[in-house]
Formats: sequence, structure tokens, C-alpha cells
Amino acid sequence: MNTLSIWLTSAYVRGLIGQIIGTAVGFGFITAIRAVMGLDTSNIEPAVVFGALIGVPGSLLGAGVLTDWIKWIFGKKTPLRHGAPEGKPEWSRYINVDVNHKVIGIQYGFTSVLVLLIGGFFAVLFRIELAAPGMQYLTNDNFNTLFSAHGIIMIASILLGVGAMVNYLVPLMIGASDMAFPRLNAFSYWVGIPAVVLILSGMFVGGWDTGWVGYPPLSLRAPLGVQLFLLGFYINGLSSIAGSINLLVTVTTMRAKGMSLFRMPIFVWAAIAASIIQFTATQTVGMALLMVVTERTIGLNFFNPTTGGNPILYQHLFWFYSHPVVYVFILPGLGVISELLPVFSRKPLFGYKWIALSSLGIAFVGFLVWAHHMFTSGMNDALRIPFMISTMFVAIPTGVKFFSWMATMWEGKLSFETPMLFVLGSISVFLIGGVTGPILGTIPTDMHLHDSYWVVGHFHSTMFGGFVFPFFAAVYYWYPKISGKMYKESLGKLHFWLMTPAFWLMSLGQMRAGLLGMRRRIADYDPALGVETTQVLVTVAALVIGWSVLIMVYNLISSARSQKMAATNPWNSRSPEWQIPYPVPEFNYDAPFEVVGDPYDYGLDGSKYVQTIPMPAVGD
Amino acid sequence: MRNRNHIINVTALVFIVTVPLYYLLRAIYALPQAASAEAVPIDQMFTGHFIAIAFLFSLIMVFMLYSAFVFRRKPGDDTDGPHIHSNTALEIIWTVVPTFVVLGFGIWGTVTLNDLVSAKENEMTIEVTGQQWSWSFAYPEQEGFSSPTLVLPVDQPVVLKMGSKDVLHSFWVPEFRVKQDLVPGQETTLRITPTEIGDYKVRCAEICGTAHSTMLADVQVVSAAEFDAFVEERTQAPVYAEMTPEERGEMWYTGGEADWASCAGCHSLDGTRLAGPSWLGLYGRTEELEDGTTITADDDYIRKSIFEPNAQIVATYAPAMPAVFVDTFAAKEAEILANEGIEIDIVDDLIAFIQTLEE
Amino acid sequence: MSAITAHHDDHAHSHEPSFAQQLRSNRLGLWLFFFSELFLFAALLVARFFLWGGARPELSQVLGLIATSVLLLSSFFVYRAESAMAHGDRKTFQSGMLIAAFLGTLFFIGVVFMEWNIFGLQGEIAGIELFGHLKPTDGVFGAVFYAMTGMHALHVLSGIIFLLIVWNNGRKGHFSSEEHWGVEAAALYWHYVDVIWVFFYPALYLIGTAG
Ligand code: HEA
Ligand code: HEA
Ligand code: CUA
Ligand SMILES: [Cu+2]
Repeated sequence: MNTLSIWLTSAYVRGLIGQIIGTAVGFGFITAIRAVMGLDTSNIEPAVVFGALIGVPGSLLGAGVLTDWIKWIFGKKTPLRHGAPEGKPEWSRYINVDVNHKVIGIQYGFTSVLVLLIGGFFAVLFRIELAAPGMQYLTNDNFNTLFSAHGIIMIASILLGVGAMVNYLVPLMIGASDMAFPRLNAFSYWVGIPAVVLILSGMFVGGWDTGWVGYPPLSLRAPLGVQLFLLGFYINGLSSIAGSINLLVTVTTMRAKGMSLFRMPIFVWAAIAASIIQFTATQTVGMALLMVVTERTIGLNFFNPTTGGNPILYQHLFWFYSHPVVYVFILPGLGVISELLPVFSRKPLFGYKWIALSSLGIAFVGFLVWAHHMFTSGMNDALRIPFMISTMFVAIPTGVKFFSWMATMWEGKLSFETPMLFVLGSISVFLIGGVTGPILGTIPTDMHLHDSYWVVGHFHSTMFGGFVFPFFAAVYYWYPKISGKMYKESLGKLHFWLMTPAFWLMSLGQMRAGLLGMRRRIADYDPALGVETTQVLVTVAALVIGWSVLIMVYNLISSARSQKMAATNPWNSRSPEWQIPYPVPEFNYDAPFEVVGDPYDYGLDGSKYVQTIPMPAVGD
Repeated sequence: MRNRNHIINVTALVFIVTVPLYYLLRAIYALPQAASAEAVPIDQMFTGHFIAIAFLFSLIMVFMLYSAFVFRRKPGDDTDGPHIHSNTALEIIWTVVPTFVVLGFGIWGTVTLNDLVSAKENEMTIEVTGQQWSWSFAYPEQEGFSSPTLVLPVDQPVVLKMGSKDVLHSFWVPEFRVKQDLVPGQETTLRITPTEIGDYKVRCAEICGTAHSTMLADVQVVSAAEFDAFVEERTQAPVYAEMTPEERGEMWYTGGEADWASCAGCHSLDGTRLAGPSWLGLYGRTEELEDGTTITADDDYIRKSIFEPNAQIVATYAPAMPAVFVDTFAAKEAEILANEGIEIDIVDDLIAFIQTLEE
Repeated sequence: MSAITAHHDDHAHSHEPSFAQQLRSNRLGLWLFFFSELFLFAALLVARFFLWGGARPELSQVLGLIATSVLLLSSFFVYRAESAMAHGDRKTFQSGMLIAAFLGTLFFIGVVFMEWNIFGLQGEIAGIELFGHLKPTDGVFGAVFYAMTGMHALHVLSGIIFLLIVWNNGRKGHFSSEEHWGVEAAALYWHYVDVIWVFFYPALYLIGTAG
């Protein structure tokens, strides 16, 4: 089989075709029923919604994710398939449904970067529009669709990136052969694809102008595109829920011998904390999104005030998820920082237990603060104040992490390869993002800052510092493990030195504009605010960030093609995944290992973290 | 001891860096003019937060950069650093101290908020209505007239009772600092005491659809005497027969005593882009329409734009104008005919008014 | 440095978890799923109390009570079926599953075809009205009622399908007294869906004043 036909029969293509067929079937079905019932068929919205819903199983069937489960229904046992599909080369595993966590992790990673490029491209488009006052080349509606899509696409990208890191790393780190439910793992990834397709196609059927939050009553009146956005968001939630349950079970039941909770690599703690948020809170936002969908499609009246509904209910249900989820974004990222700092500082991770527990602390407090997004929504003061206090408390466990990182670096022997640069960059960027949070958390200052560009600056720096920078650090750091090659250090450094200053310019510029009175989500701004220069600078910075990301993409692709193999443990790390040579075996560790020490005992002579359990000799 | 020296160096550096950093931040984080009594305590909180930000930022960054420079690995050295695991005393300190700091900010915020929301003596009530994409302000204590501009007497505490006709909007005048959403089906309140005479703008801060960015309204803070004059002008029953068409046109533009959606909500007179095109220099202007054709703004065009607002949409604008004016104008014209016995044409008045608005 | 050297033995399948270990994982996974779904149902309860407060719509109490009893009764049969399988009694297992699925279907019909006024049916027996009046578009009452019963009915429906699949596979001779995770999962799921109704029923039918 030649390369092209392997691509054309890949699960991505089959999934897309399945989704299109499913959508057409669903659409036709409802249209036919409505025609038979004598209803107005010129209103295609119900048919589109139903089509979109049927398209998702269509996509999964087409890709072949459900095959094993369908066989189970009829009582057939199916062994897990390992390796490439029959008669196809090894690389085709990566474009087909595969149950190995490393393959899935890489699939997540690729998709995440691709989606990041798409979302970033939208940002670049509307940033150019914002570079000068007046409408340049977008209409209001196009602008609104672009920033709304940018927001939700970027969030999808983050969730995919979290999935990438967690899937690839956690089983390796805890010495498991795979995740607890490999098929469910594949499902979690593959269900995310039609979700992204839905969101993107929403842009072509009218778009939507609600932002990523989709507040009613506006989302009840928005164009048809909003339905596909809501459904895409909802389906994405299924992926989160399934993935996080899988992770929690894996960590609970499949740790290597001797790996007690406080001897796990610290990243695993971060993954646990993030999963706890994901598998609970996601359900409430799912319900909120469904409520809007049903209100629009079949007239259930939850939010429309003219008939007794209450739009504030949506905000509560939405933020009950969407606040905690920001900690899903950052916890794995902060886990990567904690994981890498000791390696590049050659010192133990300072206060391991406190860092581990602070992740749980952030997750826990994160559940109690959601209404800080609603300080100006007309809530009762008796409610506003407890939410203000609880919001402030998140600073404490987050601070513990920062202080412990400083103590880890102190008197270490630091070296500055690209991953370490990104770690240091992310500490600085996340710090400015973090410390601009409490000012939003105190109500009097939030009354000025709410829905201004200050918020935009705040969350870009938390998300870049807490996710994008550490994600890039992780990509560079584990690149030799994944590809067997070394990335080009010079290009990596160039990426860092372009992106970091540009990012600083962008987020400080956004915050400045916000303080001066620039509102969020506006297609055009009043030159009287005196933010014109700032806007130009932010746009330039956005372009530089975009270029730097493209440099990374180039670096990763071209380095993979080089001939020279990387060293087995280029960073001299103690973590178990670095003790085995490339390529990592299908089941990770051909011989199981046992934990005999602490993970980060750098500088302690003769200490070991893990050692192989001697296998009884076979044969002879 | 080497260790002690490092600590002393860094501690000194943290404090030295905090001060210039604070001033740098203040230069970047500039606030607009403060024009209300509410802005005073809020700006104090901003200062408090900015000091905390400057200090925390310098604390962590000085430690980080100091380590990066002083503790960097020497070439050829591949030994590990000292084996230091943890230090309980330190950990307790950096948990407890921030706890008190954030509690302090929480209490400060509570006290300030209490001031902001508590009722003031002799408050004046104004009713604010938002709709896609315009504002209107009613003065129930002044015979209930309504106005597209928010005119406020200086130093007079006002309480805004706010509501929305359609979706969420948010009332924000950056110079006043405070902000409050307008929620359909619910009344929300906001208290403001303007302290500086001048012109400002209400900026809708909650995404409300297509023309959210242009949902603005003028705010004028005026002296008590000017406010009285404004009220008098707006409450006097106009005698249309005695007015010139231009005067009547201006009256229709601002909504006059009629309660239709005023033109001023969406069309500015000074070239500002609102939900609809500005009227400044409109008459005789060549407009490019959505479909790429161009058209000259003459009497016919203007009449058609008012009565069939969605027939000809100027490029880059949304079809946002309600198609209700055929009826409301006819009703008003009939009412004037009945009261004063003269026949007027509101659109002609408007055209006359627009003709006065040359660039 | 610790040394893990790769042993190249080709006992790949020894890496797959044992039945006991997989069972442990499955159980935990199912319970986590239940915990996750609690938040879904809690969101609906929150909507109910947020939008209805102390009021509730006029509903057919008789219908609600009967449907609830039918559902609780079905749980008993599922329980019986499961313990029968644990003792290797395939007959009782099959009948228990079928009866439970049948009772579940009755409940489903009671909610979707009788309590829901979407097909415009009418009728009464002995002065007791058989069909509900509330329409989905009847303001917040209709919205919350249909959302809660609908989301629950969806779970009942999937539960019925689950029970039937397990029944069918059991009939074909799958499962044994030692290894019957499928049966256990279906039974747990069914109990779970019942317990949810135990919270939904009073929230919809009993709490608050009707009108
Ligand atoms: C990764 C994402 C992320 C993270 C980590 C955070 C972290 C925090 N966020 Fe942020 N936030 C967002 C993403 C994030 N946020 C997004 C996306 C929005 C907008 C959503 C939308 O409307 O679209 C938002 C909006 C938002 C609002 C609503 C603003 C508004 O719309 O009016 C508020 C208000 O309280 C807030 C507060 C905070 C706080 C207090 C933290 C804290 O967790 C920060 C804690 C960290 C530190 C404080 C720094 C380190 C600590 C120390 C060095 C110790 C000492 C510190 C002190 C003593 C203060 N955020
Ligand atoms: C991970 C999250 C994430 C990331 C990485 C970004 C990245 C960027 N964001 Fe985004 N942003 C959000 C999440 C994120 N954003 C969210 C949640 C919102 C809120 C939406 C809402 O209000 O509802 C938002 C809103 C938002 C706004 C406010 C819009 C408004 O309120 O009107 C702005 C304005 O400046 C902005 C700018 C940018 C820029 C310039 C980047 C840059 O960093 C982007 C850099 C560019 C790239 C990484 C792409 C590079 C590649 C190319 C250019 C090549 C082209 C590619 C292809 C052809 C495929 N973002
Ligand atoms: Cu009104 Cu935005
Ligand atoms: Cu939040």
C-alpha cells in the first residue's frame, strides 16, 4: 500500500466521512419527520442539531473506535490489538485507532498543536483588525465569531495538550504497562475530533457572537452556529470525563511495586488533581450547555426571563465548571515545572509533600470560588463576599509552589537548555498572571476590571504561564524519548527568546488597555481611550508569538528526520522512563521495576529511585 | 558563610527592585481620570494591589534570576547540588504569611464594598434601560422624561435602577470605576456620585451581539444650575408650531418627549461610530452599501432608511435598526395635528436637522 | 543511577492485567463514573430549586407513585438476578433480568407516554386521569420537569438496554459464578439509576406547593 492510500483509509478520514454521513442521516431524518408532521421545514435548526448529534457516533463508527464494544454486546471477546493495523507500516498506527497510551498521547499532542495553530491563526486575524480603530477588513459579526471560536478552540487545544502529557507520561512514570482502560482511552481521544469539527463548522453556518461562555439570553438569539459550538463543547466534555476517570483508576490500581503515594513523580499528583476536577465539574457545564440547546431547539424555557426563566442560573452552572477547569489547564503545567526544575538544578525538589498537597489544595479551593466571575451580575452581597474571600485563598497553595520552586533552585547547579528556559519563562509569566488574579478577586477593583482587557491579559498570562510554556518545555524535554532524536538547541532557544518578550509585551499591553477602559469582545475601540499605540504593539507581539510557534513546529519536524540518535538519558534524570532505551517497548517496561527510594534525591550519593525486579530465569 | 551572604544579597535586592518596579508598573498600569466619589477608595485599593504585585513579582523574580546567574552550572561540572529536601519552618512561614495578607485584602475589599453599595442621603434615582444596542435614561423624580444622554449634576449621589429589554448588557463608565450588569427580568442597582464636571461615555461591557462594540452613550456631568436648565428644557411641553424644522429635527433625534427609541442611541453627531452611521456630514455623502453598490444620501435615501431600515445597509454595519418608525411617526404626526392643528412631517424635520450637520 | 535494562523476552501478553486486577479497575471506574454523574443530576436539582423555589407544578400523584414503586420493585429483581448468577443459578438470573427490564420499560412508558404530554393523549380510569397536562413549553415548570424526567429516562433506557444485553449474553452461556463483571455492572448501574429517582421523585412531586 502506498502512503497516500494509507492516509486516505486512515481513521481520521474514515471518521470525517462517518461524521458527514451521520450528520446527513440525522438531518434528513428530522427534516422528513417535520415534513410529514406538516411543520415548517424552512427552519433547519432542529434538523441541524440532530444531525450534529448523530454525526458524532457516525464519526466514531467510521474511525472504528466502537468496534470492540459492539462485539462485546454480542458476547464476542476481543483481544486488544497491538501494533500497526495488518499489512500497514508502523507509522500508520498514529493515524488509526490505537489503544497504546503512548500512541494516543502522541495523537493528542499532534492534534493539540494543530488546533493551537488554528486558534492562534484566528487570534492573529482579529488582532490585525484591532491594530487600528475603525473597522478595517472584518465585519462585526465576523469579528465576534472569530474571537469566540478563538477562545473555545484554544481551550480545546489545552485540554488536548493536557491529555497528551497525562497519557504519555503517567503510565510510564508509575511503571504501568498501559492505562487501565485502553479502549476507553482511545474513545476519549477520538471523540474529541468530531467535537473540534463541530465547533469549526459552526463558524460556517452563521457563526456565533456569544464568546466562549455562551451566556443566555444572547445565546438563545445568536445565529445557528451557536448550536454547533454548544454541542462541540459538550462532546469535548465527554472526552474529558472519560479520560480523567481512566487516569484516576490507572493511578490507583496500577502503580509499580513500592510506589507509595508520596513516592510518585510529582507530575502524577498534578494529573490526579486535574482529573478530580475534570470528572466532576464537567458534568455541570454539560448540563448548562444542553439546557441552552434544548431551549433553542424544543422550547424548554430555562433562561428566557420573559417567561419566568433566569439567565443567572446558567452563569452558576457554567462557572462551577469553568472556573475549576482553569486549574485543569495549569496543574499539569505546574507539574511539569516541578518535574523539570530538580533535573536542571541537580537538587531535590524542595518540599515534595507540600507541592503534592498544594495541587489538591488548589483543586479543592477551586471548587468554591466560581462566582467571582459574576461579581457584577447582580448577585446578592451576602454571596459576593464569601466568594471574594475564597478566591483570595487560592493564592496560598499556589504560593507554596512558587516558594518551593525558588528553594529548589537555590544553590543548585543550574543549566539552561531549552526546556529549562521554558520552565523559567513559565514561572515568570505565570507569576504575573497569578498576581493579577487577586486584584480581580476583590470586588471593588473588579467592578472596574470586569469584562475589560485586564481580564484578557490576566488569563492569557495564566494560561501561557501555566500551560503553553510548560507544554512547550515538556515537548522539548520528552522529545528525545518520543522520537529518539534531539531537537535543534539553537532553534529551541530562538523560539524561547522570540516568544517570551513578545508574550510579555502582549499581556502587559492588554492589561494596560483594560485599565484605561478597553472593553473585552469589541470589534472596534474608541481612540479617545488613548490605547492606540498599545493596540499596535499587542498585534505585533501576537505576530511574533505566531512566528515563534511556527519555528518550533519546524524544529520538531526537521529534527525527527535527522539521522543522529539522541542519548538514552540526555538530561541525566532519575525518572524511570529515562532509564530505558529508545524505542520504549510496547508495554513500557519489559521487566517490572520496584521503587526503592525517593524520586528527586539528586546529590545523595548512592541513592536509587527504582530498580528492576530480577525476573526468574526462563528456560535452561 | 557563603549561604548567609547570598540570602543577604537577595533580600536587599528584592527590596531595592520593588521600588522602581512599582513605578514602572504604575506607568504601564495607568488608570483613567477619577471622576466619581467611588473612584477614590477603589483607586486606593488599586494602589494596595499594585504594591503587592510589585513586591511579589520582585520577590520571586529576584530569587529566580539570582539563582540563574549565581548558581549556574560551571562548564565541565557534572556533579549534583546539595541534598536539601525541605524545611518545615520555611514552609509554615510561606503558608501562614500569605494567608494573613490575602485575608487583609479580603477585609479591605469587604469594607470598601460596603461603602460603595450602601444607600446615600438624598439620592436621586435614574432609570437606565439597555437594549440592543442603545441606552436610555429616565428621570422619574423629574416628571419621568427620558434622554439618550445621561446628564448628572455634579456631587449629587445618584442611584441607577437598571434593566434590560433583551439580553445582558453592562453599565460602565471607566472614569467612575464601577460597573454593573443589566439583567433582563431583573432590576439591578448601581450607586455613583460624580465629582468632576466633564463629558464621559457609558460603555456597554457585556457582549450583547453584533454591535456590542458601539453600544455607547454620552454622559455629561454638569453643575446643579445646568442640570436644572436641562430638566426644564426637557419637561416643558414643546409647541411644535412655533419651532423651526431644524429645531424639531433635533428634538426628534434626541427622542424628545416622545418615547420611541431615540436616534441618538445609535447615530452620533460628532463622527463617533455607534451601532449606525454617524450623522455628521451625512447629507449628500456617498455611502457604500453591503452589496458593494454606492448611493448618495439624499432625501429619498434618508426617508427609506428610516422607514425600511433593512433595505439598504451601509457596509460594515449590521441590520440593527428596528422597523417601527413608519408607525410611531405617523402616530405622533396625527397627535400634533389634533393638538395644534398643523401638519408636520417628522422625516422632513430630521432631514433639515441633518443638513445642519456639516463636517 | 538506577539501572533498568530491557529484557527482551517476548512474553508480551504477560503484561495484560489479570482478571482480578482488571476487576478491581473496573469496579473503581464504575464508581467514579457514578460519582461523576452525581454532578449531572445535582445540576438538574440545582436548576429545579433555582427556578421553582417553593413551588411545583400540578402533577398526577397517582402516576408518580405507581411509577416510583415499579422502579423500586425492578431493583429487587436485578438484585435477585445478580446473586443468582453468583451462585451459578442461570435460570433465576435470566428471569430476574427480564422482569427487571420489563418493569423498567413500564416505568419508561409511564413517564414518556403518560406523564409527558407530548402525544396529546387523554383518558381516565375510575376518575383518575391517566395522562399528565404539563407541556415542555410550559414555562420553567415544563422545562425543569422535562429536563429532569428526560435525563433520568435516558438513563433508564440505557439501563434497560444494558440489562437486556447482559441477559442475552448470559443466555448464551457467558458469565460464571466467579467471573460475571458484566452482570455486576448492569446491576449496579440499575440500582444507581433507581437511587437517583429516589431523589428526583420528591423534588418533582412532593416538595413545595403545587399550583
Ligand atoms: C489558567 C488559567 C487561570 C488561572 C490559573 C487563574 C488564576 C486566578 N484567577 Fe483567573 N481567569 C482565567 C484563567 C485563570 N485564572 C480566565 C480564563 C478568566 C476569564 C474567563 C472569561 O471571562 O472568559 C479568569 C478570570 C478571573 C476572574 C474574573 C474576572 C472578571 O471577569 O471580572 C477572577 C476574579 O476573581 C480571577 C481570579 C483569579 C485568581 C485569584 C487566581 C489565582 O489562582 C491566582 C493565584 C496565584 C497567585 C496569587 C500568584 C502566586 C502566589 C504567591 C506568590 C503567593 C503570595 C500571594 C499573595 C499574598 C497574593 N480570574
Ligand atoms: C490557550 C489559550 C489561549 C491562547 C494560547 C491564546 C493565544 C492568543 N490570544 Fe487569546 N483568548 C483565549 C485563549 C487563548 N488565547 C480565550 C479563552 C479568550 C476569550 C474568548 C472570549 O472572550 O470568549 C481569548 C481572547 C483573546 C482576545 C480578546 C478578544 C476580545 O475580547 O475581543 C485577544 C485579543 O487580543 C486574544 C489574543 C490572543 C493572541 C494574540 C494569542 C497569540 O498567542 C496567538 C499566537 C498565534 C499562534 C500560536 C498561531 C501561529 C500560527 C500561525 C499564525 C500560522 C497560521 C496557521 C494556520 C494556517 C493553521 N485572545
Ligand atoms: Cu450591550 Cu454590549
Ligand atoms: Cu475563575
